[in-house]
Amino acid sequence: MNPVDPSQSFNRRNFLKGGSLGSVAAFVGGALVSAPKKTAAQESDKPVGPPVNVGVIGCGYHGRDVISTLSLLPNAPIAALCDSYGAFLRRAGRSAPKAAKYERYQDLLEDGQVEAVVVCTPTHQHGRIVQDAFAAEKHVYCEAPLSNSVEGAREIALAVKKHPRLYFQAGLQYRSDSQRHFLLDFIRTGAWGRTAQARAQWHKKISWRRTAPTNEREREINWRLDEKLSAGLIGEIGIHQIDAVSWFFRKRPVGAHGFGSIIQWNDGRKVPDTAQAIVEYPGGVRLSYDATLANSFDGDFETYYGSSAAMMVRGNKAWMFKEADAPLLGWEVYALKETFHKEIGIALSADATQLTTVTGGGNDEEANQYVNTPLYQALEAFVHNVYVHQSGVEDFILSFGEEDPEALAEYLSGLGDSKMLAANVDVGYEATVTALKINEAIVRGTPIAFEDGWFDLG
Amino acid sequence: MKHTEYFAMKLAGLCLGSLLAASAAAAEIVRYQGVPRGSSVKIKGTSTVHDWEVKSTLIAGFMNVEGEFPSDLSATTVPALKNLPQVSVQIPVRSIRSGKSTMDSVMHGAMNQQAHPKITYVLAKMTPSNVERKSGDPLRYDTEGDLTVAGVKKRIVMPIDLVRHGDGGLRITGKMKVKMTDFGIQPPAPKIAFGLIKTGDEVEIIFEWITKKKQ
Repeated sequence: MNPVDPSQSFNRRNFLKGGSLGSVAAFVGGALVSAPKKTAAQESDKPVGPPVNVGVIGCGYHGRDVISTLSLLPNAPIAALCDSYGAFLRRAGRSAPKAAKYERYQDLLEDGQVEAVVVCTPTHQHGRIVQDAFAAEKHVYCEAPLSNSVEGAREIALAVKKHPRLYFQAGLQYRSDSQRHFLLDFIRTGAWGRTAQARAQWHKKISWRRTAPTNEREREINWRLDEKLSAGLIGEIGIHQIDAVSWFFRKRPVGAHGFGSIIQWNDGRKVPDTAQAIVEYPGGVRLSYDATLANSFDGDFETYYGSSAAMMVRGNKAWMFKEADAPLLGWEVYALKETFHKEIGIALSADATQLTTVTGGGNDEEANQYVNTPLYQALEAFVHNVYVHQSGVEDFILSFGEEDPEALAEYLSGLGDSKMLAANVDVGYEATVTALKINEAIVRGTPIAFEDGWFDLG
Repeated sequence: MKHTEYFAMKLAGLCLGSLLAASAAAAEIVRYQGVPRGSSVKIKGTSTVHDWEVKSTLIAGFMNVEGEFPSDLSATTVPALKNLPQVSVQIPVRSIRSGKSTMDSVMHGAMNQQAHPKITYVLAKMTPSNVERKSGDPLRYDTEGDLTVAGVKKRIVMPIDLVRHGDGGLRITGKMKVKMTDFGIQPPAPKIAFGLIKTGDEVEIIFEWITKKKQ
């Protein structure tokens, strides 16, 4: 339906509709209003789209996360798995017992049952696999960054453009996250005032080094620690948060300063375990980003600072911290508030217009869990969008044949409204180039001015 | 004498040839073929929550007309057609979309898309409309045709407007109101968080079909 949809605009009325129950509870007991966990009955009300047979290439740690998440989707049967390392393949196979198992990805691509593939291999292997997947006429979900080099990312992006009949999605899962889309509507109303700056971090105390039974396998599995292959903390981790900031700012960075050190894990690696970057945007706005494997304090979050309010995004939750002189929005008087040291945070919650649950103080951890993680939503979007794209191709060709590929491409590009929100190749390419260039600034230890030409795909 | 006979026969042969050629020209069938750009069919409906609209841009099919289709919009009356044009139109059900995946699933399910993947229309009658017209108005014809949705065929009466489009093609527009239940479709009543949405039975179909003259 294309009605004049009142839920598309964020306003006081909508906020209160969802928040009223929680607001009352908040006043009496400081309860937390959060996105609801859907019951099985509610889930069953949602129509399930036609199934798309998926193959997963790369069954390492993230690949197995992808497999577990796909298994939660009702319309994404895992038809095949591939990993060149037998132990990974066997372990992944336990989560998808019906899937065919392949040690060569080329064999998986020849499997006629597989309609779409999720590429979860080491970053430097993406390019070849994506190209071969297109040649085998498979739809592709490629994890971010698309490549460990700008040239490699460009080759992938150009290949996508050459294959309009195939759907491509970049693995920037925040782009499918309903919580962030909810916030985006809110931000676009100008609630934080004039944008001043942003700060984001990713802190975890882990080594990134993995053990393996042989030296060869150890070298292979520790590709993130190989400076020739790795996009570093910024490229492999920070890309998601930095892309989210650029998206919220609606701006592309114009430069970056970066610093990297090995603080904690001095085991011969050359890839920094701690990195800071100042990412410059037009108009003097900057993002201060840091990532470390040496300390886990305060985990990961993004905070945006505007002349009227700051907004912190952390997992599936967000809070607004208003300045004393900020204009009154109206609804915040009734909204749930939480205290952060000396600051009062106004909770911002996705699905505020839907059923809202109220949980007590002892259940915060449960309430903090994502109902559907960004990865779940990104893969859900992938499966749905593959179906929309594929059915669009079939319907067009049945109607008009294959004589006018430009008209087919136009028709397919017009199906955007029917697709679920996800990162397309342009978004994936821009985020990859941005992250790689910031990492380059860190590695070189010198500032980098961004050039428009890097982002131009012609 | 022989010479005169030969001349007469030659003249008769020429006349006959001309007549046959003229007759062949008169019987020439011109095909107007649906094109992939510019067409649209919208279905507008109501519900207990809000009005809604779905749309497809894929209208495939053809119209075969004996001779050139009339194109003079300055005529005071709409010209009659020598014979009933042969018109066959198909719209893939899956191509009808709302921009909302849930709504699309409900709608395609209600139309039993898997069993009946196409909506089809076949023209049965086409006569000039008596509606008063001004110079430049599109040529209006009253039509009857068989619309098949979800495997159920029903005779539909509607006026259509025709104008020239592009290089010898035709732009054909029209609208009609139909009831879903006439085609055996139960108006969808999907569950939402706050209860049921009830969809109105009557919908309006508005189309714009762009064709090109097939060489």
